[in-house]
Amino acid sequence: MTPISSTNILLTIFKRDITLAIRRGSDTCGAIFFFVLVVSLFPLALGSDTKLLQQIAPGIIWVSALLAVMLSLSRLFNDDFQDGVLEQLALSVCPLEMITFAKVIAHWCYTGFILLLISPILALQFNLPSHSIQVLFIALLLGTPTLSFIGSIGAALTVGLKSSGALISLLILPLLIPVLILGTLAVDAAATNMPYSVYLYLLVAYGVLSSFFAPIASASALRIVLD
Amino acid sequence: MLNTQKISCQRGRQLLWSDVNLTVDPGQLLFVSGANGSGKSSLLRILAGLSSPNSGDIFWCGEKITVDTIMYRSQLLYIGHQPPLNPELNAIENLIFLTQLHGQKVGQDQMVSALQFWELQGKTITLPTKHLSQGQKQRVALAQLSLLEKKIWILDEPFNSLDSSGSNIISKQLEQHLAQNHLAVITSHLHEKAAHIAPSLQQREIRIEF
Repeated sequence: MTPISSTNILLTIFKRDITLAIRRGSDTCGAIFFFVLVVSLFPLALGSDTKLLQQIAPGIIWVSALLAVMLSLSRLFNDDFQDGVLEQLALSVCPLEMITFAKVIAHWCYTGFILLLISPILALQFNLPSHSIQVLFIALLLGTPTLSFIGSIGAALTVGLKSSGALISLLILPLLIPVLILGTLAVDAAATNMPYSVYLYLLVAYGVLSSFFAPIASASALRIVLD
Repeated sequence: MLNTQKISCQRGRQLLWSDVNLTVDPGQLLFVSGANGSGKSSLLRILAGLSSPNSGDIFWCGEKITVDTIMYRSQLLYIGHQPPLNPELNAIENLIFLTQLHGQKVGQDQMVSALQFWELQGKTITLPTKHLSQGQKQRVALAQLSLLEKKIWILDEPFNSLDSSGSNIISKQLEQHLAQNHLAVITSHLHEKAAHIAPSLQQREIRIEF
Protein backbone atom coordinates (compact mmCIF):
# COMPACT_ATOMS: atom_id res chain seq x y z
CA MET A 1 0.00 0.00 0.00
CA THR A 2 1.45 3.34 -1.04
CA PRO A 3 0.03 6.82 -0.48
CA ILE A 4 -0.99 8.74 -3.58
CA SER A 5 -1.28 12.44 -4.26
CA SER A 6 -4.42 14.52 -4.66
CA THR A 7 -3.79 14.83 -8.37
CA ASN A 8 -3.91 11.06 -8.70
CA ILE A 9 -7.12 10.91 -6.70
CA LEU A 10 -8.67 13.44 -9.08
CA LEU A 11 -7.42 11.47 -12.05
CA THR A 12 -9.03 8.34 -10.63
CA ILE A 13 -12.36 10.14 -10.19
CA PHE A 14 -12.13 11.49 -13.73
CA LYS A 15 -11.39 8.06 -15.19
CA ARG A 16 -14.17 6.44 -13.19
CA ASP A 17 -16.77 8.93 -14.39
CA ILE A 18 -15.67 8.48 -17.99
CA THR A 19 -15.80 4.68 -17.61
CA LEU A 20 -19.29 4.92 -16.14
CA ALA A 21 -20.45 7.22 -18.94
CA ILE A 22 -19.19 4.70 -21.49
CA ARG A 23 -20.81 1.72 -19.73
CA ARG A 24 -24.15 3.43 -19.26
CA GLY A 25 -24.11 5.20 -22.58
CA SER A 26 -27.56 6.67 -22.05
CA ASP A 27 -26.30 10.01 -20.69
CA THR A 28 -24.08 10.80 -23.62
CA CYS A 29 -26.37 9.28 -26.25
CA GLY A 30 -29.40 11.10 -24.85
CA ALA A 31 -27.66 14.44 -25.02
CA ILE A 32 -26.30 13.82 -28.52
CA PHE A 33 -29.61 12.59 -29.94
CA PHE A 34 -31.40 15.55 -28.45
CA PHE A 35 -28.84 17.94 -29.88
CA VAL A 36 -28.85 16.41 -33.37
CA LEU A 37 -32.63 16.13 -33.52
CA VAL A 38 -33.43 19.63 -32.35
CA VAL A 39 -30.83 21.24 -34.58
CA SER A 40 -31.94 19.20 -37.62
CA LEU A 41 -35.63 19.93 -37.13
CA PHE A 42 -35.23 23.65 -37.72
CA PRO A 43 -34.06 23.51 -41.36
CA LEU A 44 -36.84 21.00 -42.04
CA ALA A 45 -39.49 23.20 -40.49
CA LEU A 46 -38.30 26.55 -41.79
CA GLY A 47 -37.76 25.56 -45.41
CA SER A 48 -34.82 26.26 -47.65
CA ASP A 49 -34.41 30.00 -47.25
CA THR A 50 -30.61 29.94 -46.96
CA LYS A 51 -30.33 33.50 -45.74
CA LEU A 52 -32.72 32.94 -42.88
CA LEU A 53 -31.05 29.65 -41.94
CA GLN A 54 -27.62 31.23 -41.91
CA GLN A 55 -28.90 33.95 -39.67
CA ILE A 56 -30.54 31.75 -37.07
CA ALA A 57 -28.00 28.91 -37.13
CA PRO A 58 -25.69 30.11 -34.33
CA GLY A 59 -28.60 30.76 -32.00
CA ILE A 60 -30.21 27.39 -32.67
CA ILE A 61 -27.00 25.44 -32.22
CA TRP A 62 -26.17 27.25 -29.00
CA VAL A 63 -29.65 26.87 -27.51
CA SER A 64 -29.73 23.17 -28.41
CA ALA A 65 -26.28 22.59 -26.93
CA LEU A 66 -27.31 24.35 -23.75
CA LEU A 67 -30.49 22.29 -23.39
CA ALA A 68 -28.68 19.06 -24.25
CA VAL A 69 -26.07 19.67 -21.56
CA MET A 70 -28.80 20.47 -19.08
CA LEU A 71 -30.59 17.20 -19.84
CA SER A 72 -27.55 15.23 -18.79
CA LEU A 73 -26.89 17.18 -15.61
CA SER A 74 -29.43 15.58 -13.32
CA ARG A 75 -27.30 12.46 -12.93
CA LEU A 76 -24.03 14.22 -12.26
CA PHE A 77 -24.22 13.73 -8.49
CA ASN A 78 -27.53 11.93 -8.10
CA ASP A 79 -26.28 8.41 -8.87
CA ASP A 80 -23.43 8.75 -6.39
CA PHE A 81 -25.87 10.06 -3.82
CA GLN A 82 -28.23 7.09 -4.28
CA ASP A 83 -25.36 4.58 -4.09
CA GLY A 84 -23.88 6.14 -0.97
CA VAL A 85 -20.67 7.00 -2.85
CA LEU A 86 -21.21 10.72 -2.29
CA GLU A 87 -20.55 10.23 1.44
CA GLN A 88 -17.25 8.61 0.61
CA LEU A 89 -16.40 11.47 -1.75
CA ALA A 90 -17.15 13.91 1.05
CA LEU A 91 -14.89 11.93 3.42
CA SER A 92 -12.01 11.66 0.98
CA VAL A 93 -8.63 13.07 1.90
CA CYS A 94 -8.98 15.20 -1.21
CA PRO A 95 -11.17 18.31 -0.73
CA LEU A 96 -14.69 17.97 -2.09
CA GLU A 97 -14.24 21.16 -4.15
CA MET A 98 -11.46 19.52 -6.17
CA ILE A 99 -13.46 16.31 -6.52
CA THR A 100 -16.38 18.31 -7.91
CA PHE A 101 -13.97 19.99 -10.32
CA ALA A 102 -12.78 16.60 -11.60
CA LYS A 103 -16.35 15.36 -11.96
CA VAL A 104 -17.36 18.45 -13.93
CA ILE A 105 -14.40 18.10 -16.29
CA ALA A 106 -15.40 14.48 -16.85
CA HIS A 107 -18.99 15.58 -17.45
CA TRP A 108 -17.81 18.04 -20.10
CA CYS A 109 -15.79 15.28 -21.80
CA TYR A 110 -18.78 12.99 -22.17
CA THR A 111 -21.32 15.66 -23.12
CA GLY A 112 -20.07 19.11 -24.16
CA PHE A 113 -16.97 17.84 -25.91
CA ILE A 114 -18.91 15.37 -28.03
CA LEU A 115 -21.53 17.98 -28.92
CA LEU A 116 -18.65 20.17 -29.95
CA LEU A 117 -17.28 17.50 -32.25
CA ILE A 118 -20.55 17.02 -34.14
CA SER A 119 -21.50 20.69 -34.29
CA PRO A 120 -19.58 21.44 -37.56
CA ILE A 121 -21.51 18.72 -39.36
CA LEU A 122 -24.80 20.10 -38.10
CA ALA A 123 -23.75 23.62 -39.02
CA LEU A 124 -23.44 22.47 -42.64
CA GLN A 125 -27.21 21.95 -42.69
CA PHE A 126 -27.60 25.69 -42.24
CA ASN A 127 -25.24 26.46 -45.09
CA LEU A 128 -22.92 28.35 -42.76
CA PRO A 129 -19.70 29.54 -44.42
CA SER A 130 -16.62 27.66 -43.29
CA HIS A 131 -15.22 30.70 -41.52
CA SER A 132 -18.33 30.94 -39.33
CA ILE A 133 -18.18 27.21 -38.64
CA GLN A 134 -14.64 27.63 -37.37
CA VAL A 135 -15.68 30.43 -35.06
CA LEU A 136 -18.71 28.44 -33.90
CA PHE A 137 -16.40 25.54 -33.08
CA ILE A 138 -14.04 27.74 -31.08
CA ALA A 139 -16.93 29.47 -29.30
CA LEU A 140 -18.43 26.09 -28.34
CA LEU A 141 -15.01 24.87 -27.21
CA LEU A 142 -14.67 27.87 -24.91
CA GLY A 143 -18.31 28.01 -23.81
CA THR A 144 -19.44 24.44 -23.21
CA PRO A 145 -17.17 23.85 -20.17
CA THR A 146 -18.91 26.83 -18.56
CA LEU A 147 -22.27 25.10 -19.15
CA SER A 148 -21.02 22.07 -17.21
CA PHE A 149 -19.45 24.14 -14.44
CA ILE A 150 -22.46 26.33 -13.78
CA GLY A 151 -24.76 23.37 -14.36
CA SER A 152 -23.01 21.48 -11.58
CA ILE A 153 -24.31 24.02 -9.06
CA GLY A 154 -27.87 23.22 -10.11
CA ALA A 155 -27.14 19.50 -10.08
CA ALA A 156 -25.67 19.72 -6.57
CA LEU A 157 -28.58 21.78 -5.24
CA THR A 158 -31.15 19.30 -6.54
CA VAL A 159 -29.41 16.08 -5.47
CA GLY A 160 -31.92 13.63 -4.05
CA LEU A 161 -34.96 15.24 -5.62
CA LYS A 162 -37.18 13.07 -7.79
CA SER A 163 -37.78 15.35 -10.76
CA SER A 164 -34.74 17.55 -10.65
CA GLY A 165 -34.55 18.34 -14.38
CA ALA A 166 -36.98 21.25 -14.45
CA LEU A 167 -35.64 22.70 -11.24
CA ILE A 168 -32.04 22.60 -12.49
CA SER A 169 -33.08 24.58 -15.57
CA LEU A 170 -34.87 27.17 -13.48
CA LEU A 171 -31.90 27.57 -11.18
CA ILE A 172 -29.09 27.84 -13.67
CA LEU A 173 -30.57 29.20 -16.91
CA PRO A 174 -30.20 32.83 -15.80
CA LEU A 175 -26.52 32.22 -15.16
CA LEU A 176 -26.03 30.61 -18.57
CA ILE A 177 -27.59 33.41 -20.61
CA PRO A 178 -24.26 35.32 -20.89
CA VAL A 179 -22.66 32.24 -22.46
CA LEU A 180 -25.51 31.99 -24.93
CA ILE A 181 -25.35 35.66 -25.89
CA LEU A 182 -21.57 35.79 -26.22
CA GLY A 183 -21.45 32.51 -28.14
CA THR A 184 -24.01 33.59 -30.71
CA LEU A 185 -22.61 37.10 -31.01
CA ALA A 186 -19.17 35.70 -31.82
CA VAL A 187 -20.53 33.62 -34.71
CA ASP A 188 -22.76 36.47 -35.95
CA ALA A 189 -19.81 38.84 -35.93
CA ALA A 190 -17.69 36.34 -37.86
CA ALA A 191 -20.46 35.92 -40.44
CA THR A 192 -20.56 39.67 -41.08
CA ASN A 193 -16.75 39.95 -41.12
CA MET A 194 -16.69 41.99 -37.92
CA PRO A 195 -14.08 41.50 -35.18
CA TYR A 196 -15.28 38.63 -33.02
CA SER A 197 -12.34 37.97 -30.71
CA VAL A 198 -13.71 40.18 -27.95
CA TYR A 199 -16.67 37.81 -27.51
CA LEU A 200 -14.34 34.85 -27.30
CA TYR A 201 -12.23 36.60 -24.67
CA LEU A 202 -15.34 37.32 -22.65
CA LEU A 203 -16.39 33.69 -22.99
CA VAL A 204 -13.01 32.62 -21.63
CA ALA A 205 -13.26 35.12 -18.78
CA TYR A 206 -16.70 33.83 -17.83
CA GLY A 207 -15.43 30.27 -18.07
CA VAL A 208 -12.45 30.95 -15.82
CA LEU A 209 -14.68 32.65 -13.30
CA SER A 210 -17.19 29.80 -13.28
CA SER A 211 -14.49 27.11 -13.09
CA PHE A 212 -13.24 28.72 -9.91
CA PHE A 213 -16.51 29.51 -8.15
CA ALA A 214 -18.81 26.72 -9.34
CA PRO A 215 -16.91 23.85 -7.65
CA ILE A 216 -16.90 25.77 -4.38
CA ALA A 217 -20.64 26.41 -4.62
CA SER A 218 -21.40 22.81 -5.66
CA ALA A 219 -19.29 21.36 -2.88
CA SER A 220 -21.04 23.40 -0.21
CA ALA A 221 -24.41 22.46 -1.69
CA LEU A 222 -23.42 18.77 -1.54
CA ARG A 223 -22.30 19.14 2.09
CA ILE A 224 -25.68 20.62 2.97
CA VAL A 225 -27.42 17.70 1.27
CA LEU A 226 -25.35 15.21 3.26
CA ASP A 227 -25.76 17.03 6.58
CA MET B 1 -8.76 8.98 21.70
CA LEU B 2 -12.09 10.10 20.35
CA ASN B 3 -14.34 12.08 22.63
CA THR B 4 -17.38 14.26 22.42
CA GLN B 5 -18.49 17.15 24.58
CA LYS B 6 -22.18 17.73 25.10
CA ILE B 7 -23.19 17.06 21.53
CA SER B 8 -26.82 17.10 20.58
CA CYS B 9 -28.66 16.21 17.42
CA GLN B 10 -31.84 17.59 15.97
CA ARG B 11 -33.63 16.22 12.95
CA GLY B 12 -36.25 18.56 11.60
CA ARG B 13 -37.86 20.03 14.70
CA GLN B 14 -37.37 16.96 16.80
CA LEU B 15 -34.52 16.82 19.27
CA LEU B 16 -33.19 13.25 18.99
CA TRP B 17 -30.70 13.34 21.82
CA SER B 18 -28.68 15.93 23.69
CA ASP B 19 -25.71 16.32 26.05
CA VAL B 20 -23.94 13.18 24.88
CA ASN B 21 -20.47 12.92 26.37
CA LEU B 22 -18.47 10.01 25.09
CA THR B 23 -14.89 8.90 25.35
CA VAL B 24 -13.57 6.08 23.23
CA ASP B 25 -10.01 5.13 24.17
CA PRO B 26 -7.63 3.28 21.88
CA GLY B 27 -8.50 -0.39 21.86
CA GLN B 28 -12.12 0.25 22.71
CA LEU B 29 -15.27 -0.46 20.80
CA LEU B 30 -18.20 1.89 21.12
CA PHE B 31 -21.41 0.02 20.58
CA VAL B 32 -24.42 2.18 19.82
CA SER B 33 -27.83 0.61 20.28
CA GLY B 34 -31.33 1.92 20.28
CA ALA B 35 -34.69 1.68 18.59
CA ASN B 36 -35.24 2.53 14.94
CA GLY B 37 -35.15 6.26 14.43
CA SER B 38 -33.51 6.96 17.76
CA GLY B 39 -30.55 8.62 16.11
CA LYS B 40 -27.89 5.88 16.01
CA SER B 41 -26.90 6.58 12.44
CA SER B 42 -27.02 10.31 13.10
CA LEU B 43 -24.48 9.89 15.88
CA LEU B 44 -22.21 7.94 13.55
CA ARG B 45 -22.49 10.53 10.81
CA ILE B 46 -21.70 13.27 13.30
CA LEU B 47 -18.68 11.36 14.60
CA ALA B 48 -17.51 10.88 11.01
CA GLY B 49 -17.83 14.60 10.38
CA LEU B 50 -20.46 14.15 7.69
CA SER B 51 -23.05 16.12 9.63
CA SER B 52 -22.41 18.68 12.30
CA PRO B 53 -23.99 18.43 15.74
CA ASN B 54 -26.48 21.10 16.76
CA SER B 55 -24.30 21.91 19.71
CA GLY B 56 -21.11 20.59 21.25
CA ASP B 57 -17.80 19.46 19.78
CA ILE B 58 -15.99 16.30 18.82
CA PHE B 59 -12.33 15.86 19.61
CA TRP B 60 -9.78 13.49 18.16
CA CYS B 61 -6.55 13.33 20.19
CA GLY B 62 -7.55 16.50 21.98
CA GLU B 63 -8.15 18.53 18.86
CA LYS B 64 -11.52 19.47 17.35
CA ILE B 65 -12.13 17.37 14.24
CA THR B 66 -13.17 20.47 12.32
CA VAL B 67 -9.72 22.03 12.76
CA ASP B 68 -7.74 19.63 10.60
CA THR B 69 -10.44 17.70 8.75
CA ILE B 70 -8.07 16.21 6.18
CA MET B 71 -5.88 14.73 8.93
CA TYR B 72 -8.95 13.35 10.70
CA ARG B 73 -10.33 11.86 7.50
CA SER B 74 -6.99 10.22 6.74
CA GLN B 75 -7.42 8.20 9.96
CA LEU B 76 -11.09 7.45 9.47
CA LEU B 77 -13.01 4.79 7.64
CA TYR B 78 -16.78 5.28 7.60
CA ILE B 79 -19.08 2.75 6.02
CA GLY B 80 -22.75 3.74 6.08
CA HIS B 81 -25.71 1.39 6.23
CA GLN B 82 -25.57 1.09 2.45
CA PRO B 83 -22.45 -0.39 0.83
CA PRO B 84 -20.94 2.52 -1.17
CA LEU B 85 -20.61 0.65 -4.44
CA ASN B 86 -21.41 1.72 -7.95
CA PRO B 87 -23.68 -0.93 -9.52
CA GLU B 88 -22.00 -0.67 -12.94
CA LEU B 89 -18.48 -1.37 -11.68
CA ASN B 90 -17.23 -4.71 -10.44
CA ALA B 91 -15.92 -5.38 -6.94
CA ILE B 92 -12.27 -4.76 -7.83
CA GLU B 93 -13.02 -1.51 -9.69
CA ASN B 94 -15.14 -0.29 -6.81
CA LEU B 95 -12.44 -1.10 -4.29
CA ILE B 96 -9.71 0.54 -6.37
CA PHE B 97 -11.84 3.68 -6.46
CA LEU B 98 -12.71 3.62 -2.75
CA THR B 99 -9.16 2.99 -1.57
CA GLN B 100 -7.77 5.69 -3.85
CA LEU B 101 -10.30 8.16 -2.46
CA HIS B 102 -8.59 7.54 0.87
CA GLY B 103 -5.32 8.42 -0.79
CA GLN B 104 -3.93 4.91 -0.80
CA LYS B 105 -2.94 2.79 -3.73
CA VAL B 106 -3.52 -0.90 -3.16
CA GLY B 107 -2.23 -3.56 -5.52
CA GLN B 108 -4.74 -5.67 -7.40
CA ASP B 109 -3.43 -8.96 -5.97
CA GLN B 110 -3.83 -7.53 -2.49
CA MET B 111 -7.40 -6.65 -3.36
CA VAL B 112 -8.14 -10.11 -4.68
CA SER B 113 -6.78 -11.70 -1.51
CA ALA B 114 -8.80 -9.32 0.67
CA LEU B 115 -11.93 -10.32 -1.25
CA GLN B 116 -10.96 -13.97 -0.90
CA PHE B 117 -10.69 -13.42 2.82
CA TRP B 118 -14.31 -12.31 2.67
CA GLU B 119 -15.10 -15.50 0.73
CA LEU B 120 -15.61 -13.71 -2.57
CA GLN B 121 -13.81 -15.10 -5.57
CA GLY B 122 -14.12 -16.10 -9.19
CA LYS B 123 -17.03 -14.56 -11.03
CA THR B 124 -18.40 -12.57 -8.11
CA ILE B 125 -15.48 -10.17 -8.18
CA THR B 126 -15.57 -9.55 -11.92
CA LEU B 127 -19.34 -9.11 -12.28
CA PRO B 128 -20.82 -5.62 -12.01
CA THR B 129 -21.92 -5.28 -8.40
CA LYS B 130 -25.56 -4.80 -9.45
CA HIS B 131 -25.63 -8.59 -9.94
CA LEU B 132 -24.43 -9.30 -6.40
CA SER B 133 -26.66 -10.03 -3.44
CA GLN B 134 -26.98 -7.56 -0.59
CA GLY B 135 -24.74 -9.65 1.62
CA GLN B 136 -22.08 -9.94 -1.06
CA LYS B 137 -22.14 -6.18 -1.59
CA GLN B 138 -21.71 -5.69 2.13
CA ARG B 139 -18.70 -8.01 2.04
CA VAL B 140 -17.11 -6.05 -0.81
CA ALA B 141 -17.55 -2.80 1.12
CA LEU B 142 -16.16 -4.35 4.28
CA ALA B 143 -13.11 -5.63 2.42
CA GLN B 144 -11.86 -2.04 2.75
CA LEU B 145 -11.31 -2.72 6.46
CA SER B 146 -8.25 -4.86 5.80
CA LEU B 147 -7.06 -2.90 2.75
CA LEU B 148 -6.83 0.52 4.38
CA GLU B 149 -4.82 1.16 7.51
CA LYS B 150 -7.18 3.33 9.46
CA LYS B 151 -7.24 4.05 13.18
CA ILE B 152 -10.94 4.79 13.48
CA TRP B 153 -13.63 2.58 12.08
CA ILE B 154 -17.17 3.91 12.06
CA LEU B 155 -19.47 1.19 10.81
CA ASP B 156 -23.22 1.55 10.55
CA GLU B 157 -24.88 -1.85 10.90
CA PRO B 158 -21.90 -3.86 9.65
CA PHE B 159 -23.64 -7.13 10.51
CA ASN B 160 -26.61 -6.25 8.35
CA SER B 161 -27.39 -8.79 5.64
CA LEU B 162 -24.30 -10.82 6.51
CA ASP B 163 -24.69 -14.54 7.11
CA SER B 164 -23.09 -16.24 10.11
CA SER B 165 -19.74 -16.80 8.43
CA GLY B 166 -19.70 -13.16 7.34
CA SER B 167 -20.44 -11.99 10.88
CA ASN B 168 -17.67 -14.28 12.01
CA ILE B 169 -15.17 -12.59 9.72
CA ILE B 170 -16.12 -9.10 10.78
CA SER B 171 -15.92 -10.03 14.47
CA LYS B 172 -12.41 -11.30 13.86
CA GLN B 173 -11.50 -8.15 11.99
CA LEU B 174 -12.83 -6.00 14.81
CA GLU B 175 -10.88 -8.04 17.35
CA GLN B 176 -7.68 -7.61 15.37
CA HIS B 177 -8.31 -3.91 14.92
CA LEU B 178 -8.89 -3.32 18.62
CA ALA B 179 -5.86 -5.42 19.54
CA GLN B 180 -3.75 -2.98 17.52
CA ASN B 181 -4.97 -0.24 19.86
CA HIS B 182 -7.21 1.30 17.26
CA LEU B 183 -10.83 2.10 17.94
CA ALA B 184 -14.19 1.39 16.39
CA VAL B 185 -17.75 2.63 16.62
CA ILE B 186 -20.53 0.33 15.44
CA THR B 187 -24.28 0.00 15.55
CA SER B 188 -26.13 -3.24 15.16
CA HIS B 189 -29.32 -5.05 16.00
CA LEU B 190 -27.54 -8.38 15.95
CA HIS B 191 -25.02 -7.57 18.59
CA GLU B 192 -25.80 -10.48 20.85
CA LYS B 193 -24.80 -12.79 18.03
CA ALA B 194 -21.58 -10.88 17.47
CA ALA B 195 -20.65 -11.00 21.11
CA HIS B 196 -21.26 -14.69 21.11
CA ILE B 197 -18.82 -15.14 18.25
CA ALA B 198 -16.09 -12.94 19.63
CA PRO B 199 -16.14 -12.87 23.42
CA SER B 200 -13.12 -10.59 23.55
CA LEU B 201 -15.15 -7.87 21.86
CA GLN B 202 -17.34 -7.69 24.93
CA GLN B 203 -14.48 -6.81 27.26
CA ARG B 204 -13.38 -3.96 25.07
CA GLU B 205 -16.82 -2.60 24.55
CA ILE B 206 -18.55 0.48 25.88
CA ARG B 207 -22.21 0.87 25.27
CA ILE B 208 -24.47 3.77 24.63
CA GLU B 209 -28.19 3.38 24.32
CA PHE B 210 -30.65 5.89 23.00
